[in-house]
Amino acid sequence: MPTAIFTIGRSGLTASRRSLELTAQNIANAANPDYSRRNLTQGELVMTGTIGTNPQDSLGGVRPGIIERAESALVQRQARDASSALSAAETEFLALREAESALETSGVFTGIVDFEAALTRLQNNPLEPALRLSAVEAARKMAGNFRIANGTLANARSLVQAEASAETLTVNELAKELAAINADLVGAREGTAGRAALLDARDKALRGLAEEFGIQPTINANGTADVTLAGTPPVALVTGASAQAVRVSFAADGTASFAVGATSFAPAGGAMAGRASALAEMAGLQTNLDGIAASAIALSNTAQANGVGADGSAGQPLFAGSGAGDIAMVLASADGLATAPAGAPVGSRDTANLAALLAALAAPTGPSSGADRLLLGLSSRVSALETRTDGLAVVSASAEAELLRETGVDLDSEAANLVRLQQAFEANSRVIQVAAELFDTILGIR
Amino acid sequence: MSSVTNSTGSFFNRSLAQMSDLRAGIERTRAQIATGRKFERGSQDPAGAAQLRSVARREALAAVEGDNAARLGQDLGAAATEVEAVTALLQRARELAVQAASTSTGPDGRQAIAFELDQLRQELFTRANGTSLTGEPLFAGQSSGTAFTRDAAGNVTYIGTPESGAVPVAPGTSIERGLPGNEVFEFDLNGAPSSAFAVLGGLVTALQGGAPDPAAAAGAALEGIDAALDTTNRATTILGTRMAWVEQVQQQQGERTIALAERRSRVGDTDIADAIARLQQSLTALEASQSAFARVSSLTLFDALR
Repeated sequence: MPTAIFTIGRSGLTASRRSLELTAQNIANAANPDYSRRNLTQGELVMTGTIGTNPQDSLGGVRPGIIERAESALVQRQARDASSALSAAETEFLALREAESALETSGVFTGIVDFEAALTRLQNNPLEPALRLSAVEAARKMAGNFRIANGTLANARSLVQAEASAETLTVNELAKELAAINADLVGAREGTAGRAALLDARDKALRGLAEEFGIQPTINANGTADVTLAGTPPVALVTGASAQAVRVSFAADGTASFAVGATSFAPAGGAMAGRASALAEMAGLQTNLDGIAASAIALSNTAQANGVGADGSAGQPLFAGSGAGDIAMVLASADGLATAPAGAPVGSRDTANLAALLAALAAPTGPSSGADRLLLGLSSRVSALETRTDGLAVVSASAEAELLRETGVDLDSEAANLVRLQQAFEANSRVIQVAAELFDTILGIR
Repeated sequence: MSSVTNSTGSFFNRSLAQMSDLRAGIERTRAQIATGRKFERGSQDPAGAAQLRSVARREALAAVEGDNAARLGQDLGAAATEVEAVTALLQRARELAVQAASTSTGPDGRQAIAFELDQLRQELFTRANGTSLTGEPLFAGQSSGTAFTRDAAGNVTYIGTPESGAVPVAPGTSIERGLPGNEVFEFDLNGAPSSAFAVLGGLVTALQGGAPDPAAAAGAALEGIDAALDTTNRATTILGTRMAWVEQVQQQQGERTIALAERRSRVGDTDIADAIARLQQSLTALEASQSAFARVSSLTLFDALR
């Protein structure tokens, strides 16, 4: 039956051409991280007719089936969870490293030590104007360093807050996008290229969400994804074609709180959880820094109140303010530095009061030890976070590699496919040629 | 289809990550060599950074304590010089008193002696109010004014404080700044408080005709001058001991500064030989991995198909 051979050859041509198209599509998307490898299923076409009780088969070639998209829900989920955990650790690490640089480079510790050193030098000759002035200026510098530390810490905090606000917008966009994809997926026909593209977009949106929040997605039978944000309590973000909006707000101490719709929740993973925890740590750092500044203010002012200046007048406060933000040196003149104890005459070189201040500053509860402890605590925390981030980066990279192995494009196998399909195409053309020759042979009978 | 493949994207990601790790390591080693510091941020070695901070604090305070000790040494030296001059002066006064006590010295001779003694008394007063290099009184204790005043009648009174205050020169060590004037120039004579000024002043008055028997008065004054000499000798001993103490402390400070520097270097400085060896190793690894990447990434079937 030459016409059947024509049909068979034509179906083979169609199938191999469509497979070639998909191969070309795979190769074109080899560098697209959101693309999942496609594959065309094929089925044999056999037509069976029955006349009476006599069934007769007629071969019909090949039937191009559906476009299959390589996917693995489990590996996708592993990759998403790993990237959530990595983002949380990494964001917190980067934010706290910023705070660490802020506190280390602002020179709070150096400022306190220089103040101590200037006071120690003053003990040598408490009435020498140059030494008194240098002690007062060291006090001014220390106050300035506290304010710089306060400013840089506030800067680091506001950077994290701005990032949290901006990323909240991204999350809301992704949630809306996912809801729209869900709506489209309901109407998309199984096995079409359009559906495969929608599924790619769905997985991309899920990955984007997972970077910002820990998510617990539910993939429904029709391919739509419902997303619940992991946290206390877990809250639904996307259900079918409707998405809720996430909001972030910041308390006076800079800590962040999140809400979906009317429900507040504390995120349990993703970059937002990292930011929330970094902001909480920064609030702690601020309290600590304010405490150190307050102790420097209180110790200096108490010592001043207990003594008399070079002119015999009662000591006035050395610092004004109550924390790192507003500490300021307010002594009008260097003569007012109360080096001598109360009751000492004008021009006394008695340094008992100065010695008491120095002892208080150097005590284990004093500001220099406090600043040292603050820096040690912070740098240890940052170091631990760095180690954790490194570990999670390895986990995340291997999950990502696993995902790419399951769904990514392998150029070598695509090249092999290309050769195979080209040969199949040529063979099918040859089949049509043979059919034509057969037909000609029959027509040529005389 | 869920066959497992060797994804091209995965290969590129892996190679890039490995090469950027190597590159970051090289960058860090290079920074260590360039700055000479083992770490830039505290979090790279929290315990080391804390040690460096405490070493830096100790070093800052040690530098100031070193300055304090040097200056204290100068002040004590100036005081000792004055006290030595005072001792020489009192010895000369004693010689004069012995001459005056001798009956062979006539009234004119006593007048001359009285005149010289009066000069010595003036000099004694000036030396007692001597100042350090920076203009601080040497014998006024904690007071910044003069140590002694003289009223119209020529009576000299100590107006400084009885304590001279201490200067911290090392952790937990303070050394007295000097000696208050009352310990250098005042003493008890036969149970009554007296001073070098009073003894010399009395002798001058006696020799100038204030006493019926100047020779006997001069003999009696010897006892007072001896007591004054004893007091200044004791002051010289005390000041000398303190100067020796300061010197010892300075020596210890020098040793401690070296120890601190060694410790800082051990904790925070780059071991150059080690760093360069590591740099070379990382560079070799990076070059090898780059050329391996170039060769492997060109191994695609597309190249083989013509």
